[in-house]
Parts: sequence; C-alpha cells; structure tokens
Amino acid sequence: MTLTTALDVARSGLSVLSGQTSILSRNIVSAGEALATRKIGNVVTVPGGGVRLVSTSRESDAALLAHLLGANATLTEQRTIVEALNKLDGTVLDPELDFSPAALIGKLNYAIQLYASAPHNAVAAQSAIAAAWDLANALNSATELVQELRQEADREIASSVERLNTLLAQFEEVNTAIINGNRTGADITDHLDNRDRLLVAISEEIGIRTITRTDGDMVIFTESGVTLFETRAREIKFEPTLAYSANVVGEAIYVDGVQITGVDAGMAVGSGRLAGLVTVRDEIATTYQAQLDEIARALIGIFAESDQSPVPTLPDVPGLFTFPDGIVPPAGTWVPGLAGMISVNAAVDPARGGDASKLRDGGIGGAAYVRNTSGVEGYSEWLQQLLDRIGDARPFDSASGLASPTALPDFAAGSVAWLQEARMTAAAEREYRATLYERSSEALSNATGVNLDHEMALLLDLERSYQATARLISTIDEMLKALIAAAG
Amino acid sequence: MQILSISTKSLSEATRSALLKAQSALAVAQKEATTGRLADVGLGLGFRAGQTVSLRNHYARLETIIETNGVAKSRLSATQAALEGIAEDAEAFVGALIGARDSESGAVVLAMEARSRLASLINTINTAIDGAYMFAGVNTGTAPFENYFSPSPPPSRQSIENAFVAAFGIGQSDSAVSEISAADMQAFLDGPFGLLFEDPAWSMNWSRASSQNITSGISVGEVIETSANANDRAIRKLVSAYVMLADLGGEKLNEGAFQVVVDTAIETAATAIQELTDLRAKLGVAEERIAVSNERMAIQMDVLSRHIIDLEAADPYEASLRVASLLTQMETAYALTARLQQMSLAYYL
Repeated sequence: MTLTTALDVARSGLSVLSGQTSILSRNIVSAGEALATRKIGNVVTVPGGGVRLVSTSRESDAALLAHLLGANATLTEQRTIVEALNKLDGTVLDPELDFSPAALIGKLNYAIQLYASAPHNAVAAQSAIAAAWDLANALNSATELVQELRQEADREIASSVERLNTLLAQFEEVNTAIINGNRTGADITDHLDNRDRLLVAISEEIGIRTITRTDGDMVIFTESGVTLFETRAREIKFEPTLAYSANVVGEAIYVDGVQITGVDAGMAVGSGRLAGLVTVRDEIATTYQAQLDEIARALIGIFAESDQSPVPTLPDVPGLFTFPDGIVPPAGTWVPGLAGMISVNAAVDPARGGDASKLRDGGIGGAAYVRNTSGVEGYSEWLQQLLDRIGDARPFDSASGLASPTALPDFAAGSVAWLQEARMTAAAEREYRATLYERSSEALSNATGVNLDHEMALLLDLERSYQATARLISTIDEMLKALIAAAG
Repeated sequence: MQILSISTKSLSEATRSALLKAQSALAVAQKEATTGRLADVGLGLGFRAGQTVSLRNHYARLETIIETNGVAKSRLSATQAALEGIAEDAEAFVGALIGARDSESGAVVLAMEARSRLASLINTINTAIDGAYMFAGVNTGTAPFENYFSPSPPPSRQSIENAFVAAFGIGQSDSAVSEISAADMQAFLDGPFGLLFEDPAWSMNWSRASSQNITSGISVGEVIETSANANDRAIRKLVSAYVMLADLGGEKLNEGAFQVVVDTAIETAATAIQELTDLRAKLGVAEERIAVSNERMAIQMDVLSRHIIDLEAADPYEASLRVASLLTQMETAYALTARLQQMSLAYYL
C-alpha cells in the first residue's frame, strides 16, 4: 500500500460522494411528485481499495403497486357509477318536491278524485288533464335524461378507449427503453417510475394485472386475462353509437379482437372506468328506462277504454294516455322507449281541440266507447272505476327488476326505492374504495417515496464524509510534501 | 434500511385529505342542522326512499279525500236545510188545510196559499250550488222543474189540464165544475191525477232530475250517495198535494167535492212530511259517515306524517354537535398543516 494508492482511494471516495449527492438532490427534487420513488446509489468496494458507484436502483414494492392498481380500478369504476346514479336522481329529487313519476301519479290520482267529487265542474276536468300532462311530460323528460346518460357514457367509453390506446403506445416506448437500459446497464430508475405512472393511469380506465419478465420487460393483461400489452401494444377497438334511443344497444369493446363487454363476452372486463361506463350504459340506465316504460305502459292500460256496445266487437283503445302507435300494448311486456312517447290523448285535451269531459264520460276512442250515454253532468262512475283501476295490481315485465304483479303507485315508488338503494350502496362502496385507494397509495408512498428529513440527514452524512475525504487528501498531500522535503 | 418509513408526500397528503373529508361532511351537517331533514333524503334512506314516496302519496290522497268530502258535506247540509224548509212549509200547509176545511172563504185562501207554496217548492228544488243543481241527481246540469205558473203552460200544467178535461169534459175554470160530485172527484184524484205523479208520466211532464243520486268516495274504497233528488216520493207527494188545491178549480167546486180534495191533500201532504223525515234521516246518516271517515283519516294522516318525519328527519342537535366537532377537527388540521410546514430539518441546518 502506498501513499499514491491511498490518494487514489480517497479520490474514488470523492467521486462516489458527488455521485451520491446528485442522486440525493434528485430525490429531494422529486419529493413532491406522485409515485416518485426514492433512488439509491449502489456502491461497491473495488478489489485493491477504493469505492465505485456501480448503479442506481430505486425503492420499489411490486405487491403494493399491484394493490394500488386494483384499488384504483375499482375506485374509478365506482365513481363513474355514483356519478351516473346521481344524474338519474335528477328524475326523482327530494321526495318533498313531489317531482318523481311516483309523486305525479299520486297527483293525477287526486285530480281525478277531485273531478269525481264535482263531475260537472269543467275546471276540475281541466286540472285532471293538466295533471296527466305533467305526468306524461315527466316520463318524456326522464326518458330523455336516461338516453342522454347512455349517450354520454358511450362517448366517454370512446374517449376512454382512445386514452387507453395512447397510454399503451407510451407504455411501449418506456418498456422498450427499460429493456434496453437493463441490457446496457444504464440508469433506468426514472423510466421505471414513468412506467409505474402509466400503469396507474391505465388501471384508471381498466382493471389490469401485470407480469414482469427478463430484462424488466412487462406484460399487461386485463383482470379477465385478455392481453393488453405484450412486447407491443394491442389495439382496443370501439365504435361509438351516434344517437341513443331506448331500442339502441351499445356496441361492445374489443381488445386485440377479443370482445370484453356485452353478454357474449367470455372474458368480460371487471373493473375500471370502462367497466363502470358499460354498467351504466347497458345495465343501470337500461333497467331504469324499463321501469319508466313500464310505468307508461301501465298508465295506457289503466285508462284504456273498452267497447260499450251490447255486443262488443271493437278492440280496447288508449284513453287518457296514448302513444303514436295508438294501441293498448299487451300486459306485462316491456315496450322499449314507451315512456318517451307517451302523451295525453288529443281527443281529451282542450288545448288541442279535445273535450276534457270525455275523461268522465268515456268515448275518448270514439262513440262506441262512451259510458255515460245519457250525457248527464253528475256522472262519476267511470272516474271512480279509474281510481280503483289505478290501485289494482297488474303484471310488470321482469326487465324492470321490480316486484310484479303490483299496483302502479307501488311500482313507481318501487322504482324510486330501487334508484335510491342503488345510490346509497354505490356511494358507500365508493367511500370504501376511496379509503382503500388512499391506504394503498399511502402505503406505497411510505414504502417507496422520499422523506425530506431523511434525505437531509443523509446530506449531513455526505457532507461529513466529504470533509473527511478532503482532510484525507490534504493530509496525504502534507505527508507527500514532507517526504519530498526530507528527500530533497 | 428504514424500519418505519413515511414519505414527505403522504405526510402532507394526510392532512389535506382529512381536511377535504371534513369540509364535505361539514356541508352535510350544516344543512341537516338548519333544516332538520336529511341532507340528501334518497342517499340517506336507500330503498326506504320508496316508502317515503308512498307515504307522502298516501298522505296527499287522504288530504284530497278530506277536501272532496268538504264538497259532499256542504251539498248534504244545503240539502238538509232545503228539506227542512220544505217540511216546515208542508206542515204549515197541512195546518191551513185543517183550519180552512169547513170555512166559507176557505177555498180562495187555500188556492192562493197552495200556489205560493208550490212556486216556492219549485224554487227550492231548482237551487244550484257551485253550478250544480242540488236536487237533480246526477243530471246536475239541468234544473229539475219548470215554472208551473209560467204564461206558456209547461208540460206539467198541461198534463193536469188534459187529465182534468179527459175526466170531466170541462176545464178547471169552467163554471160547470161545481157540478162535479164528490165521488167523481175522489175517483179522479185516486186514478188519473195520481198517475200523473208516477213514472213514466212524472219524468215526462214534471221532473228532469235523474233518480240516480250523486255518489262520492268518502274514504279509500268507501263510496256512498251524497245527494237527494226531486224524484223522491216525498217531493212527488208534496207537489201533488199543492197542485190539488192550486189547480183543480177549488174555488168553484161544490162543498162535497172540495172537502174530498182537501181531505186527500191533507192525507197526501202528511205522508209527504213523513217521507221527508225519512229522507232527511238518510242524508243525516251520510253526513255522519263522512264525519266519521274524516275523523279516521285525520288520525291516519297524523300517523303518516309522523312516519314521514321519522324517516326523513335528521336530529338537528346531533347535526349541530357534528358541525361543532367538525369545525374543531378542521381547525386542528389547519394548525397542524402550519406546524408541519415548520417541521423540516432544512430550517435547522
């Protein structure tokens, strides 16, 4: 061992120290960034003395990251569902406001009750017709809202798919850089951080699982096992539907040619925004639409008139409520979009040249359907019958997801219950998912993130080491100087 | 190797997310404290929101029924008052008949009295409330009777005259009516004259009212009749008693025939009074049933509104306590954030 060797060792120390200081300052700078990991300089002792900074690595925890990805996907899914349900709540609002179809059915009921108590009263007749209009309008605008919601979900699916494709393309670049970096031994820690960020962004759109292979190469599958990325990004395809009505079924999403949504999908997507949007578009909104349509169908059925001739030959026809087809739809079968088409019959609507007293007398469908044949003004039997019919149990299509047979007011109240229960459950679930997400992101951040105080303390260490090394060099210098002076 | 580690980011994130949560909870608690109702009824109740909608519907339905019962009740009490007046008139008339039966000038006085009482009966029967004729049954748009004494004789007066001519060969004002025997008069009153107040002649010549009374749903599923009509036997009898004295030429009849008329009129009017009492009792039962069902529904409404409040209410005291504790929590969080800002080695090196 010579003084020159000692000097070399000290010099190598200095260069390692400056390398470590640079890593440390990278850590300090990135302390506020999401998903930034703490970088570590790996130092080895060189045989024969001296140290060397061989590589940079980072704190990482694959299990915690996988947790975060899962929590993130379910959180965004739940959030999408809650938002959609809150929009649907726009058709119900606070029960105090009497805004829901259920409340308006009640109001129509009272208007008819009032009319029955004063059948000669034209104002009572008009207000019954007005109540019928309110109900028909509420069903129309609720349908519009539901279909807008589906349309919006469809558009969002399209932009989500687009975003996924972009993210996967970026992922491909970063992944390639990591593989190359691993082969050449370059510092890939920032690439790895970037890749983690991309994974989190992807998991927001769709639930994923990952596998890491040799050279840090990563493969991404959907939770159901469809390959999203393997060496190269797989294409995700979706055809947006331009206009929605209750009859329109939204298009499915395909990954690498495999269908991942819809009833035919063997490997259906399980979580993430896409799953949430598809649930909204194809299940929640569709079921709610079916409920509205069934309310409309029941209304047409309740007010339908039958032939009053001694020998009835004519079919039943729509009475107070009708829709463009002008028939009475068969009982217990869902007619998609009926709630959007229901209106008050022009024959009974004074605003369109009709006669409101036909509600009392029958005959909205024509002379053969008149019940009050003598035309007396105090006739209220048909109105009383209508009131009874509103309260009768009737069958509803199972597509509505509600109990059947039941009376219309109960069915409509059941629809409110269904919506609010879904809201409550979804909100509670979101709360839980949000906590889960917070915890896993906190856990990951704690395990892999930067603590400024820790870094500052390390900086002190480095400073001390630097001072010691510098002192070492100056001492060796002194010694060499003394040696040369003694020799001279 | 760090045994217990916490990153700077999660440290600052913790107070930030705690603050956000407290703020949104504060908005909810504030609303509940001021309104006393759940901030979002649907979200708070879940499937039970369907129940409050049903309860509110049920409540409003009962409210409407009580309101419409008011209509029926006022019709019934107006009818009662009218019938009371009619009965008093009838009693006074019977009294006059008994008093004037044997007196000389009785016929003229009685004829005048009968005419005015008939006119006032027709007036009462033709009363309308709120645009609906009270005694018209379900035919509320048409006045039941026509004015008997209008210059152009209505079918009612015409039919009496026709029957009189058919029976005696002369009109009521002919001086020859004094020759009508008591027996013939009795036969006429019991026969052709009586038939005029039976169907179908009655509804052809006299009354345009419907025999079908107005029905009202007075509680959920309970429908009763809530009107009387001019075709009731009491009214027919009374009308016929009045007509006997008013329009059978009483002033010119001989004493025997006149007494037959008066006796028959007393008998008929007395039956009519009896039947009026029955009719009023029937209406009284209807009034009673409305009162009972109103009372029952008021109790139900009370229960329902308590149910609704139970479901939708939030405890304002609990909510304001929550507001207070959230405010403390937030103040702590603010203070902590400020302190944490100061807590860095950077300030001490």
